[in-house]
Amino acid sequence: MSVSVQQKKICMLGGFSVGKTSLVKRYVESVFSETYLTTVGVKIDKKTVTLGDKTVHLILWDLAGEDDMASLRMSYMRGSAGYVLVADGTRSATLEVALALRKRVEAEYGPLPFALLINKNDLRDQWTITDDDLEKLRTDGWWVRTSSARTGEGVEDAFTDLATRVAR
Amino acid sequence: MTTGSAQFPAQVTERLRELVFAGRAVAWLEVDDALTLIGAGGDLAPYGLAGLNLGVAVTEQVHVLEGLLPIVESPYFMPEVEIIKGRAADLHFWTETSGGEGEGGGSTWVALVEVTTQRDLTQRLQQKAYDMTLLQEKEAAFNRQLEAANAALVAAQRELEASRDELARWNKTLEERVAAQVAEIEQMNKMKRFLSPSIAELLVSSGDESILKRHRRDIAALFCDLRGFTAFSESAEPEEVSELLQDYHAALVPLIQSFEGTLDRFVGDGLMVFFNDPMPCPDSAERAVRLAVAMREAVAALSAAWRKRGHQVGFGIGIAQGFATLGQIGFEGRFDYSAIGTVVNTAARLCENAADGQIFVTSRIAVAVSEVAELAEIGMLPLKGLSRPLAVSNVVGLKDGDQKVVWLNRQTR
Repeated sequence: MSVSVQQKKICMLGGFSVGKTSLVKRYVESVFSETYLTTVGVKIDKKTVTLGDKTVHLILWDLAGEDDMASLRMSYMRGSAGYVLVADGTRSATLEVALALRKRVEAEYGPLPFALLINKNDLRDQWTITDDDLEKLRTDGWWVRTSSARTGEGVEDAFTDLATRVAR
Repeated sequence: MTTGSAQFPAQVTERLRELVFAGRAVAWLEVDDALTLIGAGGDLAPYGLAGLNLGVAVTEQVHVLEGLLPIVESPYFMPEVEIIKGRAADLHFWTETSGGEGEGGGSTWVALVEVTTQRDLTQRLQQKAYDMTLLQEKEAAFNRQLEAANAALVAAQRELEASRDELARWNKTLEERVAAQVAEIEQMNKMKRFLSPSIAELLVSSGDESILKRHRRDIAALFCDLRGFTAFSESAEPEEVSELLQDYHAALVPLIQSFEGTLDRFVGDGLMVFFNDPMPCPDSAERAVRLAVAMREAVAALSAAWRKRGHQVGFGIGIAQGFATLGQIGFEGRFDYSAIGTVVNTAARLCENAADGQIFVTSRIAVAVSEVAELAEIGMLPLKGLSRPLAVSNVVGLKDGDQKVVWLNRQTR
């Protein structure tokens, strides 16, 4: 049986401190660090997944968080096959940031496969993003899941799903 | 003044080159149109690119270039890319045509210039700024929680005040009710002195105290006392007298209450009852006669026991009907509800004249009860205190048998 090998660039997008780096670390290294270290520029990581007869090397671009001080450099998105939008469930404003980022990406690079992760599900009691907010997005056809980089909940599934959609 | 490196002496150019390369890894890659790596050099090892193979697709060896080649604009710049952990570089892309015009072909060049130190410096500054922002966000969220808690507290306090006001209102209502009940009880106690309990309660519940005011009404008055009681009390011990009276009252008072008569007074063995006041009753004569027969039977039963102990005591009753003045008489602390008038005297005199077992009634009573009572005419009797003799009859019995049972049955119908 011939095995097809593909390489796909995936970008992590979202506001600052929503857990993009932690999600990549959880996905690639299966670890979580309680210390928050902000990302400057971009960090490159690689994860290989097997999807049936396909082997997909995911080149993960963990981009610096979007905020008032550091606006996302759209040049980093060049050549991306898909992206993961991340929001922090405990800070509802980060969902607005994610929605705005998606609009900017779409305006520049057209429609690309993406997944929206509402992270920090381990702090559910502190969430300000409501189930109604998520339900509304799902009704609009969004791929939305909750996740926790701390516990690993929902992380593998999100990347696998996106890999399936970007792999030819 | 000229521009470009040509103006610099070789010593300066060399020094500048040393400064650019000093303390940082600088490397380069050359890629052809088919995206094959055709050249590489410089400080590649720090980026994990030491073992590159020329003639092989570049993206298979340098993952960071995935999707970026061929470049769409030249030069192209991508800053602060951490290609390998702890090592950040600015990536510079540009193309250079190798052949002459129209020949096509050329190379894409990629220069990696390390910026780890500057990146780390930026990171430290940005970290502080973000930490501060997160702290402010937390503070704002905490303040919002505090405000919400405060609002809830204020609402709870208002609710508490409302509850307190309501409680005060309830207390006031309760106090008023208690005061009303106390007044009712006091009134009841006042009434109970001269009315049967059931009538007293009825009057109290109606709240009408006007009945206590002096008024005139047609009543049936009943007097009864024991025959031979004075002689008995002279010869017997006081304890015996007291015991006999206790039995006597215990037997008669419940009967009076059951016929809803108004007990005016006890005077030793003498007892006065009247009907149609304060509770109006259309059959006052009949009630008085039925009560009298019931009393006679009750005392007859007691007399049998008294006789066994050697006491010869009889029982006589007198009943008359007519207008009397009724109401509260006496003074503060010692009030009685009583009837005054000829009818009362007449009943008392008839009682005096009745022998043991006799119930003397006036002609008016006799006519009123002729349907229900067996009567025997006694004749015209001169009575003390009355100017003319009166036609008197004796109630032999009742036509409908046991009067108490009949009466009570009638009451429950």
